[in-house]
Amino acid sequence: MELQKGKGTAAAAASGAAGGGGGGAGAGAPGGGRLLLSTSLDAKDELEEVGFFLILTFQVCKGPPQHEEICLGLFTLVLTEPAQAQKCYRDLALVSRDGMNIVLNKINQILMEKYLKLQDTCRTQLVWLVRELVKSGVLGADGVCMTFMKQIAGGDVTAKNIWLAESVLDILTEQREWVLKSSILIAMAVYTYLRLIVDHHGTAQLQALRQKEVDFCISLLRERFMECLMIGRDLVRLLQNVARIPEFELLWKDIIHNPQALSPQFTGILQLLQSRTSRKFLACRLTPDMETKLLFMTSRVRFGQQKRYQDWFQRQYLSTPDSQSLRCDLIRYICGVVHPSNEVLSSDILPRWAIIGWLLTTCTSNVAASNAKLALFYDWLFFSPDKDSIMNIEPAILVMHHSMKPHPAITATLLDFMCRIIPNFYPPLEGHVRQGVFSSLNHIVEKRVLAHLAPLFDNPKLDKELRAMLREKFPEFCSSPSPPVEVKIEEPVSMEMDNHMSDKDESCYDNAEAAFSDDEEDLNSKGKKREFRFHPIKETVVEEPVDITPYLDQLDESLRDKVLQLQKGSDTEAQCEVMQEIVDQVLEEDFDSEQLSVLASCLQELFKAHFRGEVLPEEITEDGHKAHATPEAPWESLPNLCQMQEDNSSFSLLLDLLSELYQKQPKIGYHLLYYLRASKAAAGKMNLYESFAQATQLGDLHTCLMMDMKACQEDDVRLLCHLTPSIYTEFPDETLRSGELLNMIVAVIDSAQLQELVCHVMMGNLVMFRKDSVLNILIQSLDWETFEQYCAWQLFLAHNIPLETIIPILQHLKYKEHPEALSCLLLQLRREKPSEEMVKMVLSRPCHPDDQFTTSILRHWCMKHDELLAEHIKSLLIKNNSLPRKRQSLRSSSSKLAQLTLEQILEHLDNLRLNLTNTKQNFFSQTPILQALQHVQASCDEAHKMKFSDLFSLAEEYEDSSTKPPKSRRKAALSSPRSRKNATQPPNAEEESGSSSASEEEDTKPKPTKRKRKGSSAVGSDSD
Amino acid sequence: MNGVNDPPLFIKDIKPGLKNLNVVFIVLEIGRVTKTKDGHEVRSCKVADKTGSITISVWDEIGSLIQPGDIIRLTRGYASMWKGCLTLYTGRGGELQKIGEFCMVYSEVPNFSEPNPDYRGQQNKG
Repeated sequence: MELQKGKGTAAAAASGAAGGGGGGAGAGAPGGGRLLLSTSLDAKDELEEVGFFLILTFQVCKGPPQHEEICLGLFTLVLTEPAQAQKCYRDLALVSRDGMNIVLNKINQILMEKYLKLQDTCRTQLVWLVRELVKSGVLGADGVCMTFMKQIAGGDVTAKNIWLAESVLDILTEQREWVLKSSILIAMAVYTYLRLIVDHHGTAQLQALRQKEVDFCISLLRERFMECLMIGRDLVRLLQNVARIPEFELLWKDIIHNPQALSPQFTGILQLLQSRTSRKFLACRLTPDMETKLLFMTSRVRFGQQKRYQDWFQRQYLSTPDSQSLRCDLIRYICGVVHPSNEVLSSDILPRWAIIGWLLTTCTSNVAASNAKLALFYDWLFFSPDKDSIMNIEPAILVMHHSMKPHPAITATLLDFMCRIIPNFYPPLEGHVRQGVFSSLNHIVEKRVLAHLAPLFDNPKLDKELRAMLREKFPEFCSSPSPPVEVKIEEPVSMEMDNHMSDKDESCYDNAEAAFSDDEEDLNSKGKKREFRFHPIKETVVEEPVDITPYLDQLDESLRDKVLQLQKGSDTEAQCEVMQEIVDQVLEEDFDSEQLSVLASCLQELFKAHFRGEVLPEEITEDGHKAHATPEAPWESLPNLCQMQEDNSSFSLLLDLLSELYQKQPKIGYHLLYYLRASKAAAGKMNLYESFAQATQLGDLHTCLMMDMKACQEDDVRLLCHLTPSIYTEFPDETLRSGELLNMIVAVIDSAQLQELVCHVMMGNLVMFRKDSVLNILIQSLDWETFEQYCAWQLFLAHNIPLETIIPILQHLKYKEHPEALSCLLLQLRREKPSEEMVKMVLSRPCHPDDQFTTSILRHWCMKHDELLAEHIKSLLIKNNSLPRKRQSLRSSSSKLAQLTLEQILEHLDNLRLNLTNTKQNFFSQTPILQALQHVQASCDEAHKMKFSDLFSLAEEYEDSSTKPPKSRRKAALSSPRSRKNATQPPNAEEESGSSSASEEEDTKPKPTKRKRKGSSAVGSDSD
Repeated sequence: MNGVNDPPLFIKDIKPGLKNLNVVFIVLEIGRVTKTKDGHEVRSCKVADKTGSITISVWDEIGSLIQPGDIIRLTRGYASMWKGCLTLYTGRGGELQKIGEFCMVYSEVPNFSEPNPDYRGQQNKG
């Protein structure tokens, strides 16, 4: 809050000081300030300038918050006041003490999150500012340029997008020397503009832009081919799309015939095709908005629910002819970048192949379609199991597999493409491509993405030619006895056909074949279901060399040396020593705390590898503590932390370092939890985590803990289980009320881990539920997956919480939607002695012929606790015996859940009566029940007397029994209504027909009154 | 009174007659425009959250700004029956604010604006 206010005032102060206030004599003059009176005629006074500058400098020196305020204030002015921009930028450059870092971060943030909403002036100003930053050679401006390029949408030739493409290109062309200093910027710019060239054609304006783009790309490609090589094989894909442009035709000649002319290290196109494209390039061609939406679809949307999301995405990005080229970017992104975690893969989240299928089926042009297919198979062509990931080739095989039934044409066209691309991709490399496709298929079978390919390749839904081609190209993947089998199938078909028509029509033939082979296909698909189990795959990460040079320059010399030492150090022990030295230096008094962030960036980069693997050792010692401290070097600083006093300033400095690291590497959070749990040095210091959480930008324990557990859940389920007991023990206030946390856990554990947790609970190591919050959490769990719900119930049952606590959940349970909770609850209720509250809750369930919950439990209680149950029912019947009251309750029931009504009780009792008819149970002959029924009947209206006549007839007999011998009568009573009805219908059918006729009545009869009520109620709520 | 910061109500918990509702939903469909006698434009939009869908009646020009896929926060709305269907309205002093788009999980069923036998039944009996 305060920060917000501060920013506002700083911006205002800066604006006032910069003369932006307007009005007065100096309004028109660019240099008009507030020290001296001046008109547009007066020369600029030095004093004015100096004065303003001094004010700013003075402010900035006060401390980091003031510095940030001033920088952001000036930045805002640059964006919003074109007339002041020049001057404000100059001031900004002069007063900035962090190399413009704050401003760069803000620009990146605006570009990533708000660009679409930015006004045109601000966009223009932003381009202007970036150009200035580039001109001044500000460190980090290359990053901003790359973020800017990401905003240029592919497949979009609207004026604003073209303007952006051109503006950024102009900056890069003008500052070419500067561009050449950053190899990543070179590669990214080439990738971006090579791709955009395809979109820019038609009008003269676009043609001119295209020429600029061509010149720009060609010059970088020719001069800096090595940098461009780092893109990987997708560079070839893009170059193929522009190969007809004369400049690129020439380049292609060199690539093929004279590779060394481009770079001495370039051995030829194969080198490029064999290297996997780094994710950052595939990702850079999607705008942040597209990326967010695609990621949302692949991580949150359930399979089957995607239709509208697809429509919305299509409406926004894929609806014009120009946008067709975007499909390839999307497909490459999905194959190469969207690699869902194992948990997502095995869940019901929309799978990647379904999105690809959608992108393929909605293609409107042939060119786009064939480019899309190439994009889908691109990683197959030169696939090598060592370098490439199964995740990149998996979507293609799965989209073929899953489309066979609903869209056989899609499968066919893809299989056809897969066969034809081998000789046609690039004839001189046919052998390599064949090898690549083969390795892909082999790898797919090995990793059991599909257990067998024969059902796909030799499927009767495919036409004969295609199957023949597949058999010819991939004999080893087609089932060996297939030719004779096929003959058997086809012969009778053709004979049949001859009877029906004179000459064979191609399409009819296909139809007949498909119809004939249905049986076989069903067999196949059944077989498939059994075989096809999804085995999520762990991706092998290709280590990319760590580049920390941009950070190193910003470090003090001594610190830089140590970081370099750390980078070179190979064994953990040496690294630990250096790390200790770094920590010591941080703790020295003269350490410049502004270096923390840079240091954190270096450490984060250097220790990236540590955060990839799993932290939990295979075997855990008995007490769950690791024998030796974790070898992750950053944590070597922690023993220090643990030994420190919390009010110590070094303590907070280390926390700051951790918090900086956390910002860059969120995995630190759960690693810290693990460290505190596992390390002996840290024993009993779990509360350190709280201090850590407060030091992070999140600033509060709950959020931080939830984020960390979420990250841990995504990365390492074993660790999550391992941490669970200590998290619940140490932070009960954050955990025990959190359905979110419980869901996180039960969403990923397997039965063995569940068993482990249950044992922890029963041994007293773990408390996951408390009386006051358990009900709420179980209610939340009703939306969870079946297994998740069962886990929640099992964990609940492991605790010693009386069932009464959670009985109210019954009001939330619908028989169709909540079978898990209903059966868990039912099985628990049967172990309980019924209390009146329980019986009331059970009877409060709405009556539905298929919902047998109430009857089941009542029947069980009849058998075990008949007297108790009879008493409770009597009391409930008498309490609720008033029909007028029912009207009132109906009104309020709109806001409350299930309300107990007399009719309901009677209906449930009637169901129970029917259920008990064939047993010897004489629950209904108990005095309390008969008394109550009699009592109720007396005040009942005729309709109800009719409806429950069988039930009431039991009591009629009882009435008589005061004068006549009771026992024999009662028995007769039990059987008489039944035998009467049984003569015509079995009890169940009677029950159903009774209820349906009742509902018909409701439908037809009292309409006039209904309308009245509705009208009045609507008026009532309107007037409120 | 419900403030902006209160947790929003789930659509499944909306009952006729409730007032001061604070609901967050995603827009699924926008119905055709109808005009009232006094010249107001009215649109019926189908909206949903993770618990189900409901029809909201949007009045006047703000309706023309709404797009399918928009995530919207309704403050101070109320619910009542209209032609036998549960319908959501913006109440006096209430408003609709777009707070995002696309990225919200929803469930189209149950549709709480379908003619509901429960309510009909209740009114019959009453």
